[in-house]
Amino acid sequence: MIKVEDLTLTYPSGKGIFNVDFTVNKGGITGYLGPNGSGKTTTIRALMGFMRPDSGSCSINGMDCRNKATQIQNILGYIPGEISFFDQMGGDEFLSFMSDMRRTKNEKRKNYLIELLDLNPKGKIKKFSKGMKQKLGIVAAFMHDPEILVLDEPTSGLDPLMQNVFIDLLMEEKKRGKTILLSSHMFEEVERTCDNIIIIKEGQIVTESDVGALKKAQRKSYLIRPKNMDLSWNIMQNEGFEATKIAPDIIEAYIGGDDVDRFIKAVAGFEVESLDVRHQTLEDLFLEFYSKGEN
Amino acid sequence: MSIVLLKKTLKRNWVLLAIFFAVLTMYLTIMIYMFDPDDIQAIISMVELFPEDLMKAMGFAGFSDITGYLASWMYGMLMLAFPMVYCIILGNRLVAKMVDNGSMAYLLSTPNSRNKIVITQGFYALASVAVLFAALFGVGVSISEMAHPGLLDIGGFLRLNITTMFVNMFVIMLVFFFSCLFNDIKYSTGFGAGMPILFFLMNLIGGVSEDAETIRNLSIYGLYDPLVVATESTFVWANLFYVSGIIVFFAAGVAVFNRKRLPI
Repeated sequence: MIKVEDLTLTYPSGKGIFNVDFTVNKGGITGYLGPNGSGKTTTIRALMGFMRPDSGSCSINGMDCRNKATQIQNILGYIPGEISFFDQMGGDEFLSFMSDMRRTKNEKRKNYLIELLDLNPKGKIKKFSKGMKQKLGIVAAFMHDPEILVLDEPTSGLDPLMQNVFIDLLMEEKKRGKTILLSSHMFEEVERTCDNIIIIKEGQIVTESDVGALKKAQRKSYLIRPKNMDLSWNIMQNEGFEATKIAPDIIEAYIGGDDVDRFIKAVAGFEVESLDVRHQTLEDLFLEFYSKGEN
Repeated sequence: MSIVLLKKTLKRNWVLLAIFFAVLTMYLTIMIYMFDPDDIQAIISMVELFPEDLMKAMGFAGFSDITGYLASWMYGMLMLAFPMVYCIILGNRLVAKMVDNGSMAYLLSTPNSRNKIVITQGFYALASVAVLFAALFGVGVSISEMAHPGLLDIGGFLRLNITTMFVNMFVIMLVFFFSCLFNDIKYSTGFGAGMPILFFLMNLIGGVSEDAETIRNLSIYGLYDPLVVATESTFVWANLFYVSGIIVFFAAGVAVFNRKRLPI
């Protein structure tokens, strides 16, 4: 269990995190979502014991993150947000060095992960591509089969195929009862894996809720290109959906999470040439939460 | 201390040590072969050709045998200047560079405490300087025995190497301390290189005249007199000073690293 209580950690610049408070329960995946510079990595630095907070506390399985940092590392896997290795080392050498430093030897698990991620750890790390480095970081974080995983933007640099593989890996770990904190700036990634989502902005937690509720609150925009514009437009209007004509032949409809079913059935009433979902960016989502917060 | 980390640190840094050892071995060999026991007066008169103050600044004091000759010509300046460069490079590599580029995060994500990691790095720093001077002592004795059998006062030469080793260990601990203190390699290099270079310049200036002696005495080299160490068979109190300095800066480096915030 990861527990963060009223944590404040400020930098000399005045930035930082303020009164951050959340819990990741055993066996759960919590998404930690926020734009760049919002304080995700700062929170993780406190969890890793790299920085002592100004006030408040954080603990992992009941052990204080700063005073028991060394003991915590026995049960923790960590992917840094900005991966930088010892550049002179080879990939293989790095992995066995990490195993030796941890005094763990789990060749089977290591090889399984290397195969899963399709990583070739031969050669100097310096020469690796960004994606390869990221894969190496993932193997290093998972290979000792830790109980707790703290992952700081773990899929950055991975191609979409590998992102899916990684998400499968996370789901598998969750099934095995691992506790995971996943920091990200991509809503899709978090949406697919997490039970809980925490949104942070400018060092403060904006919202904390389970994914279901968030999805319901989230409105998606659907782009419909109907065969018969007038007929379709009337149907949309009669059903009471919020819609606009963004082009002579395209209707954009904004549909809330709990209205999707009704919307699909309404659309079934006319002939459709194409239907697209416009992905809501994190910014849109934020805007929604911020405007809510202001009300 | 972590043996795994020590091995890795050695693997990453032995080349640096080897380069400095090679350069200093070359100088030492040339110096020893240049010594002519039959014509010591010739060397002395050659020195007299140069302005006296300049020679003093370079640490070339009066001597009467090969041990004193090496002490003043080799250990007066070269054995401080070259190892100092080594100390500056190594000291920054051992801690600050890893914090600056973030690779320290990997070391600390293993169940090894900050203390353990930084003590290992500091130990390597001291051990590598010890190995350097042990090897140079070996080279000095062997080459001298080959070139001028029986002339070198091995006991004096040993004392000389021990004290010079302590002086350089003091320097590397100073660099190490700044390396532990600063997260930014800019500052750690600035202070880690700036302070030893400043002390070294104070040492040079202080050697020029009696009046400037105070400047030299204020530097860490104030207690270091290679000719006295090599020729007088008494215990050198300076050793005690340098060893205390080594302990103080080592402990301070470890303590400050243990407490500070690491932006990694």
